[in-house]
Amino acid sequence: MKKLFNLPVALAAALLTMAVAEAHHSFAMFDRDTQIVKTGTVQRWAFNNPHSWLYMNVKNEDGTETLWSFEGSAPTGLIQRGITGDTFKPGATVTFMYCPLKDGRPGGAIGWAKLGDGKYINPADGGCNGGEENQKKWADWLAKGYTSSKDAENTQ
Amino acid sequence: MRFTKSSLCAGVFLLAAGIAPSAVLAQGFGSGYGPPLKVVPPPKEFATSEEHYAYLLEQAKGGTKHTLQSVPRWDGLWNTAGNTHMEAFIEGQGFAGKVREGVLTPEYEVAFKERWRQQVEDGQVHYDRLGHCEPPGMPRFLLEPYTHEFINLPLESYLINDFGPSIRRVLIGKQHSNLYGTHSWYGDTIGFWDGDKLVSNTKYLYPADFTRWSPMTSNQFETVETWELKKYPGGIERIEVQATFYDKFAFVKPVNTVYAFRRGTDLEKVDYRVNHWECDQTSNSFLDDKGVTNFHLPGEEGFNDGRGTTMFPELPGQTRDPIYNTTLPTSTSKE
Repeated sequence: MKKLFNLPVALAAALLTMAVAEAHHSFAMFDRDTQIVKTGTVQRWAFNNPHSWLYMNVKNEDGTETLWSFEGSAPTGLIQRGITGDTFKPGATVTFMYCPLKDGRPGGAIGWAKLGDGKYINPADGGCNGGEENQKKWADWLAKGYTSSKDAENTQ
Repeated sequence: MRFTKSSLCAGVFLLAAGIAPSAVLAQGFGSGYGPPLKVVPPPKEFATSEEHYAYLLEQAKGGTKHTLQSVPRWDGLWNTAGNTHMEAFIEGQGFAGKVREGVLTPEYEVAFKERWRQQVEDGQVHYDRLGHCEPPGMPRFLLEPYTHEFINLPLESYLINDFGPSIRRVLIGKQHSNLYGTHSWYGDTIGFWDGDKLVSNTKYLYPADFTRWSPMTSNQFETVETWELKKYPGGIERIEVQATFYDKFAFVKPVNTVYAFRRGTDLEKVDYRVNHWECDQTSNSFLDDKGVTNFHLPGEEGFNDGRGTTMFPELPGQTRDPIYNTTLPTSTSKE
């Protein structure tokens, strides 16, 4: 297995990907002012061009499950952040943050994801902020029990 | 953790330069790698791209005749590393800037102002033509991220972006030809070598754009480009493309910009492969009835399952997800 992480390259990539947060489409369908955290199991990680998609089964309060769909960055951008087609394995439990679709359907733009080993990764494109600073902010909010950015911001 | 000399230098360079996101955005996607890009305008003004190209060819005394041994090699993977095209059209920094007046013709300026208004006021241009899988085309080829490859041979060069994928063929020493009698996304490109510089002239392009938040271009858009591999301290290698854009419908006068590509060393280190893909088979974006981009989700009419099965699901081995064999709800559309 080749090593995927190199600090200076990661630093450069972090700066570069801020500018590469471009998509083949507009992000106008996402509510980028709202960030929500959920936990679910991976149905499929479609590491495809022009965008990756993470499909997650998430349990509802009544015990049923809903399939949620989240758009991420393009594979070339993700590989530069150490994310590959094997990162989300079907059946794995993942906690993730997303910016929802404005029309309320079960989907959105992926922000950060927290893998089973506790490691945060950033599969986001320009539709939601999955960056390191936001991960840190969320680690604090999660410790206080928040799962919605609006709730966290309203009580501060 | 492994620190190579070139990657360390690149990281130190970025830190030393104090590059902030606003500065990165100022020179477009992937900028901040190497010194700021500077436009080198043509030595004089030309009325047409052909006149410009002919002048450069004459200055180069017909061009350098390279062999397989001498032709400059730009093998490997490349990523976009910035551009200056927004500086030509926007006055001020990034999205806080205003449309520069008098650069575009009145009709194109009005159209661009509406795009810019959407970007600034609504936070996003509502729809991008790539959302229904149009190819980037020219000039967007020069900016669109994803992975590039540049293959030089004595009589032709292949300029490739894996978006689509898109391939521009630069035919060395040829004259323009248009047997189809129409235009196309990448047009017809002829070129010559001036030492280690590749000079090209592209014509017969479809109307396109620079990006969704940039001006649109017309079917009379033409380019003269000079491609050169530049080397900077710290092992930084950057292909810089000095471009002059001619468009009698869109521009009041020719526009000069520079684009850049950096080596995709991080991709090469992990043995990244450029695979063929087609937007039509994997994209689920569409233009909704409010004029905004939206997505078809699994189970909805129109959902396109890029990792689903072929037209022969009853046969073994017909899934496009052969490693994990996952399934999603199929489209509710009627065949």
